[in-house]
Order: sequence, then structure tokens, then C-alpha cells
Amino acid sequence: MNELFRDTFRYRELIWALAVKELTIRYKRSLLGFLWALLNPMLLMLVLSVVFSKILVSAQPHYAIFLLSMLLPWTFFSQSLSYAAESIVGNADLIKKVRVAKLVFPIAAVVSNMINLLLSFIPLILIVLVMRHPFYWTWLYLPVPLLALAILTLGATFFFATANVYYRDVAHIVQIVLQVWFYVTPIIYSVEAFPAKYHIFFKLNPVIYVLNGFRLGVYYGLLPTPASVIASFTCAFAALYLGFRIFRKHQDDFVFYV
Amino acid sequence: MNDSSLAISVQNVSQRFRVIHERPDTVRELFAKFKGKRISYRDFLAVSDVSFDVRRGEILGIIGRNGSGKSTLLKIIAGVYRPTTGTVVVNGTLAPLIELGAGMHHELTGRENILLNGLLMGYSKETMRERQQKIIEFADIGDFIDAPVKQYSSGMYMRLAFAVATEINPDILVVDEILAVGDFAFQEKCVNRLRAFRAAGKTIILVSHSLSQIEEQCDRVILLEKGKMTIDGSPSEAIKAYLGESTMEEPMLVESPSPRA
Repeated sequence: MNELFRDTFRYRELIWALAVKELTIRYKRSLLGFLWALLNPMLLMLVLSVVFSKILVSAQPHYAIFLLSMLLPWTFFSQSLSYAAESIVGNADLIKKVRVAKLVFPIAAVVSNMINLLLSFIPLILIVLVMRHPFYWTWLYLPVPLLALAILTLGATFFFATANVYYRDVAHIVQIVLQVWFYVTPIIYSVEAFPAKYHIFFKLNPVIYVLNGFRLGVYYGLLPTPASVIASFTCAFAALYLGFRIFRKHQDDFVFYV
Repeated sequence: MNDSSLAISVQNVSQRFRVIHERPDTVRELFAKFKGKRISYRDFLAVSDVSFDVRRGEILGIIGRNGSGKSTLLKIIAGVYRPTTGTVVVNGTLAPLIELGAGMHHELTGRENILLNGLLMGYSKETMRERQQKIIEFADIGDFIDAPVKQYSSGMYMRLAFAVATEINPDILVVDEILAVGDFAFQEKCVNRLRAFRAAGKTIILVSHSLSQIEEQCDRVILLEKGKMTIDGSPSEAIKAYLGESTMEEPMLVESPSPRA
């Protein structure tokens, strides 16, 4: 773990350059460029508000905000994992030719997606203003779940990046797992829609504590309970510890498998 | 390594590669293991128990046939591979020129690549900003410096790569068969730069199939044969052995199955 912090600091300029490179390349050949990061949630919101206010009548008022407050961090998580699987294999050329600390690639992938997430909060703010949803002071608390989410995602990223080096199937499996995971996590619905006896099932989901922090702050104007904050950071650090351990154990062999 | 006059010390280095036949890169491989099926593979030693030292300011040549382990050895020295056994100690900063444009990204411009390349080699943003102008001058590719690298000709690519690697002023330069690229004027520029490096007391490891270049540039030459080091001596000695090795096997290659009609 010490090594992780030390090397992250040591290679911070490289990590930043790689993350910026990632974003530059993603948007370079498109006319709207970075605007896509803003437009995606905007358009999604438009679709949702039509579907849920005109066609299906939702139990949640201001459903778009209810949804986006959790969907945006989830999108960060799932996109990071999709990129994670490719973060080592996709940089095979570099790894085979240059001596480079391997951990910069997964970290850069997470950083570039984090920039995307932060950008996507701009349309969320606009939506909150347009729908006249109250602007709660609990927005100020959001950096805390953001930190837990980043740590959790980084841990998972290390794990999937390593696994995909050895078994390329992992990239495909991740996609399927993420789809199932999306539906079993109360993102498009509320836990309250289920009888209390099923709530235990949701509590086993390691991402729910941190995602809930976003929804509470943005939609309900509440702070999470101390127990759920502790749970979210426990999950996050457990993921980082395990993910990095596996990554570190195998990183010197990546060059022979990519 | 106690001796501070050494730039590089390679001790008993071996590199084993596993060649898997029909590459079961997937979960099938796992299933095969469960079923007790053998996955067919073969281990081979690309580099076998090689030891040598390179003194500061020395120009060392490495020669050998294709597949003799030259590039693998360079990659071990450059830190790309961790050797299966043995140790490598490198004193000072090392710039690898192993493959053309290693670390260049096609979508980025030359200027962006200079920064990224420098950072990948472990230099700071500040250093790269200071050196940027000199790198651009040496590469001498005009307006193309602000065009994406994918639009470069291979010569331009190479010029930029060479400029980045040498302008950042490393203590040790590892060069693999790249001086053959580029036009005559640029080749001369490269050779001059290598001379200047040498004059500045820097260490160079040079891999080349151009024996005249090896003879001209190197103080000492290593000959690799099937991963083993067979000669460590003067350029003329190593080249003689290398040519002898070739001529000995040559008759087999030109052997004709049918007698004269």
C-alpha cells in the first residue's frame, strides 16, 4: 500500500498526462469534443423525463434528479471497469518497449473517468435548477462519497486489469456482470419499493453505500448515517487493498502476456 | 556494485520464454487444466547465463544472428523485462532507443508526444519543457511537429524518437538497429551525436547488423550465439568469429539436393 501512494505521487505528472491523453483521444475526432461529456447526461435526462413523467407515472417526484444523482457515479464506476480491463492490455505496445511503472495505466484510466464524472455534474446542476429542486447544503458533503467511490473503483480496476492480462474473456465477463449489477443496485428504483425483509439483500452490495451518499446529498438533502459512511470506506479500502495486492504480485509478468 | 567506474553490470542473466502452442489465451485454458489436459508449450532460453560489465564511457557493440537474443538482452538492460535469473545493475539514467517510436501515440502531435515520451522515461514536465525547443530543432521536421504522429513518414518518426531520447541527456544510451533509418544527412547527424556522447564520457550499447558501423564505433564487442555469449573482446575479434560462424553454416544453406545434370 505504501508503494501505491509513493509511486502515485512519484509518477503524478505521467498519470495526469496519460489521463489527459485518454480524454484528448476520446474526443479528438468528434465535432463537439468535450461537450459530449455534458451532452450525454443531458440527453438521457430528456428521455427519462418524457418517459417517466408523461408515459409512466413515477412514484418519485423529480425522478430525473433521483435517478441521475446515482446514475452518474454508477456510470463512472462501470466505465472505469470497462476501461480497466483494457488498461494494461491496451497499452501492450508501451509495456513491451519502455520501462514504465505499470500502475500508472489503471490509475490514469480512473483519473480520466473521474474528470468525466466531474464534468457530468454540470448538467446535473442545470437540471436541479431547471426543475426547481431545492439545492441542499448537503452538496458540500459530496467530496466524501466521491473519495470513497474513487478508492473503490481503483481497487476494482487493479483487479480487472490484472485478470484481463491472463484471460481476455474477463473484458467480456465484466460487461455482463456490470449489466446485472446495474439492475440489482437500486439506481433506477428505490429500495423502499421492496418489503423490508428483502433489504438485507441490498446491504450485501458493496457499491450501494457509496452510491447512496450521492443520492442522499443531492436528492434528499440528507447525510448518510455514520455506519453507512464506515461501510462505504471499508468496502473501498478492502477493494483497493486486495486489488493492488494482486496487481503488484503480477505486474512484472505482464510484459510476457500482453 | 562497488566499482563506480562501471555503468552497467550484468551477472549470470538468463531469460526463459514460454512458447505456448495454439495459444489458449482464454478460459478454455482453465477448463483444459480442470480436465487434466496438457497445454502444449515449450520453454526456451532466449538469453542463457550471460555476464559482462560495461565501463563508463565505453561503447559496447552486441552482434549475433537473428534470434540470438540481442534484443532480449537489451530489453533486460533497459528494464522492460525482469530476467528469469541473474541481476542487472545500471548506474545512472538510461535512455532506450530499442524500437522506433516506442511510447509514441499516433493520435497525438509530435509536440504532445515529446512531453509524454519524456514523462514515460521518467523525466519531469519541467525538464521536458526546457528541452522541448532543442528536441524540435534536432528532429528538424518543420511544421509536422504540430501534426498527429500518424501522419509522419517513418523517417520523421525516427528523427523525433532519436531527438527525444538523446536530447534529454542520459548517462547511458541503448541503441538497437535504428541508425539505418533516416536519410544520409540525418544518419550523419546521429553518428555525430553518438560521437559527442562518447566525447562527453557517456556509455553506449549498440546493436547492429552493420559490421562496418560496429567496427568503427565500438570499443568492445560481444557476440551472442543462441542466447549464449561466445565472445567478449575487440571488435575485429568478435566480427571474425561472427563471420566464421556464418561461413561454417553457409554450405548447408546453399546445398543443392540434385547433382549436376
